[in-house]
Amino acid sequence: MSLHNVKLIFGRELRDQLRDRRTLFMIAVLPLLFYPLLGFTFFQIAQFLQDEPSKILIVGCVDIPGLPAFNKEYVDQHLGEKKRRSRFELDYQPLISGPDQKLTSPYSKEQMQRMVKDGKYQAVLSFSPHFAEKVEEYRVALRARASGTWPNGKPMPQIPEPEIICDSHQEKSAVTGVRTGNVLESWTEDVGRKTLAETNVPANAAKPIEIRHEFLGAADEQRFDSSLWSKVLPFVLLIWAVTGAFYPAVDLCAGEKERGTLETLLSSPAHRSEIVFGKLLTVMLFSVVTAVLNLVSMGITGSVVMKSLGDLPQAANVGPPPLASLGWLILMLLPVSALFSAICLALAAFARSTKEGQYYLMPVILVTMPLILLPMAPSAELNLGNSLVPVSGIVLLMRSMMEGTIGRLWPYAIPVSVVTFVCCWAAIRWAIDQFSSESVLFREGERWDLTNWFAHLLRDRQPTPSVAMAVLCGAVILVIRFFVGFMFTLPSTFNEFFQQSLITQIAVVATPALIMAVMLTLSPARTLLLSMPMNRRSFASLLVAAALAIALHPAVMSMEVVISWLYPVSAEVKMIGERVVHVINDAPNAFMAVLAIAILPAFCEELAFRGFILSGFRHMGRKWRAIGLSALLFGFSHGILQQSIMASLIGCVLGFIAIQAGSLWPGVVFHLVHNCLGYVVGFKYNGDLSTTQYGWLQIVLKDNVRVYHPAVVMITLATAVIFLLWFRQLSYRRTSEESLQEAIEQEAPIHSLAR
Amino acid sequence: MIHVRNLTKHYADLKRGRLVAIHELSFDAAAGEIFGLLGPNGAGKTTALRIISTVLRPTGGTATVNDFDVVTQPSQVRHQIGFVSASTAVYDRMSAWEMVEYFGRLYGLPDSVLYSRMEALFERLQMNEFRDMLGGKMSTGMKQKVSIARAIIHDPPVLILDEATTGLDVLVARALMNTVAELREQGKCIIYSTHIMREAERLCDRVAIMHHGRVLATGTIDDLRQRYDEPDLEDLFFQLISADRKLPPTIPLPTT
Repeated sequence: MSLHNVKLIFGRELRDQLRDRRTLFMIAVLPLLFYPLLGFTFFQIAQFLQDEPSKILIVGCVDIPGLPAFNKEYVDQHLGEKKRRSRFELDYQPLISGPDQKLTSPYSKEQMQRMVKDGKYQAVLSFSPHFAEKVEEYRVALRARASGTWPNGKPMPQIPEPEIICDSHQEKSAVTGVRTGNVLESWTEDVGRKTLAETNVPANAAKPIEIRHEFLGAADEQRFDSSLWSKVLPFVLLIWAVTGAFYPAVDLCAGEKERGTLETLLSSPAHRSEIVFGKLLTVMLFSVVTAVLNLVSMGITGSVVMKSLGDLPQAANVGPPPLASLGWLILMLLPVSALFSAICLALAAFARSTKEGQYYLMPVILVTMPLILLPMAPSAELNLGNSLVPVSGIVLLMRSMMEGTIGRLWPYAIPVSVVTFVCCWAAIRWAIDQFSSESVLFREGERWDLTNWFAHLLRDRQPTPSVAMAVLCGAVILVIRFFVGFMFTLPSTFNEFFQQSLITQIAVVATPALIMAVMLTLSPARTLLLSMPMNRRSFASLLVAAALAIALHPAVMSMEVVISWLYPVSAEVKMIGERVVHVINDAPNAFMAVLAIAILPAFCEELAFRGFILSGFRHMGRKWRAIGLSALLFGFSHGILQQSIMASLIGCVLGFIAIQAGSLWPGVVFHLVHNCLGYVVGFKYNGDLSTTQYGWLQIVLKDNVRVYHPAVVMITLATAVIFLLWFRQLSYRRTSEESLQEAIEQEAPIHSLAR
Repeated sequence: MIHVRNLTKHYADLKRGRLVAIHELSFDAAAGEIFGLLGPNGAGKTTALRIISTVLRPTGGTATVNDFDVVTQPSQVRHQIGFVSASTAVYDRMSAWEMVEYFGRLYGLPDSVLYSRMEALFERLQMNEFRDMLGGKMSTGMKQKVSIARAIIHDPPVLILDEATTGLDVLVARALMNTVAELREQGKCIIYSTHIMREAERLCDRVAIMHHGRVLATGTIDDLRQRYDEPDLEDLFFQLISADRKLPPTIPLPTT
């Protein structure tokens, strides 16, 4: 790749974008106008809202001699601050005299409910007709009790409960109801205090303990500001980074395709990677500039708005964020921008037209949003586990920077950077592949028709499945597994466990792959790598695979401990795990247990993941990409996160073996031996070999966790590497795409290849 | 210069199954020669030229340009060629001068060579009056001139012109053909695809007549006239194409 060409392409694309008025408007002008307009609208709406006060009807207003009056003044005083109070309007309806000269409420309960439902009042506070009498009775009784004249054992009189009616379906009504309740509560407290004073009990007897809050952040101004900023700023920055990357990306790829200039560029000597990097830098620049401009504009508008709301006590504390943390924020924006830009670029390269490109924005936002929002949860803090989650790790790092906890959490910046870098690299590779793929660049609009498509699938079958079929097979397995999982309950007997395992392996995993292999390929046996071991080499590979599984076992067990340390298992999953171990140890004999957890998975999962799916992915032309993707799908098909990670790693080894040996059977043997060892050590002995003659192989960590001695792990791992090297030296059968890719990488003339 | 052997390109097509764009295409073109690919629309000319210019990959067969393989050494091949096609447009928001300069730089020309060559080219193709005009405002003829200038700025030994006169008026088309003839005199190997017989008669040293992705006849124009006993090239072309129409459009192929 020549830096000269990248610079050249970057310069051209940048100039091109700067000459485009629409892009400039979206990137530079819109953010500068957007927030002031938003602020303006906010004020308008705020005024509009103030014009509509909430109405409260108080029925049977209470005025009890000797107690604080529950009247308009009282309610006004306790409804909240000055500004808020003017938004409430109070109506009073005193009790009326009934036909028998008794006081009674002017409305029935139904009438009051109707008034709230119809929106005539937002809340109705109703006191029962005998409220005042009953309160008085209670106070008399209390005084009598205090002076010892109250008959022993006689119950104290009950006070009828006042009632607040509000409509929870209407937000305004619900809020008014809560506010009215608050006023009533403070009145009750006042009444209580007064009554206590009358009976010579100190007023604080009802509430002897006062709570005093001390907010550390209040003293340290930077941290107090940050509680708001640390959530708002990363969110705004990242959302705008995506949006800012998206529009230029669509214009630079789909737009060029539409205008016909892409082919001009592709026929120039610039490498695809140079084109991608040139365009990527442009998109990234726009992404960063958009995000920063939005930040600045929002900051300016925000501080003006806050100043004008200055008389609110909450607003007074929200000052501008400190400049140093803003600097860090922008620095961390760079890698995220690069990641978003590469993803947008690859997607935009896939789009046939700018119109199609725009459709892809929503899915990108939908996938990004949870990654940005989840770390905003108050309980989320940077740890090794979540620092390995792309985007989320960066958001958490930004947050800790703003909250001032970075001094403690800085070591996690390393995994965050590594993960972000790897994701960036993968996304860029993907974009380059999109630019090298002629089916993407010269995709033509074809009328899609289900019948034609089915006919095409059956008629134009190839010996092995296509990449799309492999993806489909993986998706089908994952979806069926998801739904079948809901049908299962936690097994209580071994029989139940065995049935579930049988259904999962045969119906969910193996059957889709087998059906698809028979229906969609010309050579199911070649697809599923079913050639029988016939020669010495293939028998040897079976033995080496078994030896490899044994050699990897200590490393696998150690890895499991590391994973459960990185991503601690939840109590619920732990409980399920213990139950499963218990159920399996209840198996009528060891063979049945091995059948369920080793033999069935070894055959069924290998057929699906190393058979159909890997064969399909190999048409991408890159062996390791095919292995990685099939391993990822294999990992996903294990429901629990910790299991998925381990399965993905093992999947890579299995995929490698399957390709090198050109046969499914060594993988089956490896899988079988691996699961058997897992069963014996993990289930039978629960990871603890101290009761056996192999106890000396293990050491004890804290919490009584036993792992293999590091020396054992190292020695066996070294042996495993030798076995892997043995597989590596086998000459394997390449797909035509793989041969082509190798020739391109070596720049060898094509006629030197047997195509 | 250019050697094409058994070049084949298939596309997957939902309705018709595998669509054969070109089938077993073979030809050679030497330096100082204009080789014409003649054929009706959809004959596979553009596909063949896109493969030679490394924009598409063949399904089978080989093609080399100056001994560089188009599949495995695309970058070297692109240094050897200038490619002008109906689908290679000019940038809307770039002036003629900037566009040619940009491609010259991409080809790695040092500034001194680049600017003297640009001045000469702009003079020869009469492009000076619109050198600062943005692509979006140019006429079809102006755009085509910019495309030619862009394709030959690095002085490539091979020039691939795919229906280069489409949409041009008589004057511009004639000027373009004169330029092509001049380039042949300079020893360039030129592949020229067209469906206009008069252009082929005027320019091409040898031609291949293509239909449904296959070559029906190849040779010098005089050769073909004698072989089919038909003095008029257009009639000869029509005769060959009509005879071929009776054959099925797709060739059933064994699956590999």
